Amino acid sequence: MPDEIPISLRQVKKQFGALTAVDGLSLDVRRGEIFGLLGPNGAGKSTTIHCIIGLIEPDEGEIRINGTGKPSQPAVRARMGIAPQALSIYEVLTAEENLAFFGQLYGLTGRHLKQRVDWTLDFVGLKNRRSDAVKTYSGGMKRRINLAVALLHDPDIILLDEPTVGVDPQSRNSIFDNILALKAEGRTIIYTTHYMEEAERLCDRVGIMDHGKLLALGSVKSLIAERGGLPLLVVETGGKDIEMRSADPLADLNRLAASAPVERFRLDQPTLEEVFLNLTGRTLRD
Amino acid sequence: MSAILAIAAKDLRVLFRVKAGLFFAFAWPLIIAVLFGAVFSGSGDSGPQGLQVAFADEDQTPASRDFATLIAKGSQFTVQSATRTQAIDLVRRGKLAAALILPKGFGEASQRLFYGAPPQIEVWMDPSRKAESAMIQGLLFQRAAQLMQKKMSDSGAMRGSIRDGLSKLNDAKTAKTIDPRQRASLLRFLGGLDSVLADTPATPSEGTGSQPAWQPLAVDQHDISRRKEGPQSGYDITFPQGLVWGILGCAMTFGIGFVSERTHGTLVRLQMAPIDRVQLLAGKALACAAACLLIELVLCLVGVFGFHVVPRHWLFLGLACFSSMLAFVGIMMLVAGLGKTEQAAAGVGWAIMMPLSLFGGAMIPLAFMPHWMARIGVVSPVRWSITAFEGAIWRGFSFQEMLLPCGILAAIGIVCFVVGTRTLRLS
Repeated sequence: MPDEIPISLRQVKKQFGALTAVDGLSLDVRRGEIFGLLGPNGAGKSTTIHCIIGLIEPDEGEIRINGTGKPSQPAVRARMGIAPQALSIYEVLTAEENLAFFGQLYGLTGRHLKQRVDWTLDFVGLKNRRSDAVKTYSGGMKRRINLAVALLHDPDIILLDEPTVGVDPQSRNSIFDNILALKAEGRTIIYTTHYMEEAERLCDRVGIMDHGKLLALGSVKSLIAERGGLPLLVVETGGKDIEMRSADPLADLNRLAASAPVERFRLDQPTLEEVFLNLTGRTLRD
Repeated sequence: MSAILAIAAKDLRVLFRVKAGLFFAFAWPLIIAVLFGAVFSGSGDSGPQGLQVAFADEDQTPASRDFATLIAKGSQFTVQSATRTQAIDLVRRGKLAAALILPKGFGEASQRLFYGAPPQIEVWMDPSRKAESAMIQGLLFQRAAQLMQKKMSDSGAMRGSIRDGLSKLNDAKTAKTIDPRQRASLLRFLGGLDSVLADTPATPSEGTGSQPAWQPLAVDQHDISRRKEGPQSGYDITFPQGLVWGILGCAMTFGIGFVSERTHGTLVRLQMAPIDRVQLLAGKALACAAACLLIELVLCLVGVFGFHVVPRHWLFLGLACFSSMLAFVGIMMLVAGLGKTEQAAAGVGWAIMMPLSLFGGAMIPLAFMPHWMARIGVVSPVRWSITAFEGAIWRGFSFQEMLLPCGILAAIGIVCFVVGTRTLRLS
């Protein structure tokens, strides 16, 4: 099934001194899906990404890209694009110069290079700012050009490491649209974030990491159903809020209404945040 | 190869966009070379200046005016006319080296030949300026001798002075002041001299006519333009320093820039690209090498066309440029491996390079450096780079002599490059 599993990790372990950044991680990413790697800062997400792209050699375990390829092989890396968490672009150069430079490193030349530069600038909505130095861009625009560089050489696999950090809502939506468009083209995307709402909106499946370990893996719906717990019923009666986890919210609401008049109520469905809380005993932003 | 060229081109483009880096690579070394060159060359191209003196003529006779003209003639003195009070005040305030005053009676005294008090000139100057004092006295005696020569070569004027002297010696009042035996001798000598001059046609001082004026010595001077062994100007010394500052600044800029790629994350992208470590390092080294050579070329052109720094041997200058480039590309790689952050790399890099620059002759020219400093400087690549540049520009090194500094520079470059690439952490 190598065609269906472009990224496969088996018992990957990486230590930095006494710190175990990735601890026996095994997972398969399916072709054409957006796979969310979730976890708080320091959970081991970026180390995992760096192992997948071949920047870090795991101490133990095995990583396979497109079936047999090791990420340390240049030809394998050429099929992957990454938008690192840090803005990895030259701010004194223009957007066009940045793209042209990175394109040359991937062997793009001449007309093909120009076409790809034009396409990526158009894709991220920065065509009209192509000749401006990146240092003059807003934070959101810089994130978009950071994404553009990852797409320049038309990779099958795209790794996005916290691509919306420090981004305004408009640019965030623009980046979400870009990611969904890339998925529609059949590309495989690994998306790391510690914003659960982003994962819920974008990801087909998520893996939740903490302390270098994969705590849970599955679709957002299944994880919430399995690990999210009961929905939260909040009822306002007699000027006071009553909160309760409820397996049958309608029955509980009728019971409360029979004893006292209900002024207002709401039902909060569990989220990935609750999934993480149930798994680790703490919230993502702790 | 295209990836290496792409990395080099990108690095050069970044260098030219960062004004601070550009300043330290191009403008700073030029400032060093020009500023210090001007200092070491004296006051520039204005030529030698004479001793600045004030001159007061209180006698106002033809003889005193002749003497004043002689003083002002030539380049040894730069004369400013003044009154006695003004002249002395100018010296007291340190504006001029000396005040020369011709008191009343100078003209009369200068008419007397071989008897009586000589003509006097007052010289007022700061006693601490002993060297200038001796020089001024020598120059004044020279002028007095010139005045005497002028008078003796004009027989008409000479006879006038002799007759005047004879009449004074025959005068009873004067006769009492001179020893009778000396008076008799002088009368005989001046009488005889007058008779000789009477048979000689009156000759103007410049000796027009068929016979030239009599002179004690005729000097036949032939000018030979001797080959100057040392530097032609201060710029010959400071341009090698400027060249070294330029490539040093370039190496530091590229080294710190390499660290900056790591801290800003662009190195992750470079490593993600389908290129290997060798290509990446080669691209970085090529960019630094190209920038160093460009800086050397620009500074050499400015030196040659702007400040007449003409190398003795162009090929050797090229060799010095190339070997210095090799050394500093290696140093660039070493700097890149020195620190985890830009601040750390810059701090450690300059902490090492500043003393090496000091003892290597980038701050104090090697020619003026104390012996003990020069001995320490042998460990500095800066020293060997300056030696190579000086060898090509003004020391007149042979090819064998050039091999020593250039070989040492190449070795330094290779060692630093190897150590730097081994210590460099890319991730």
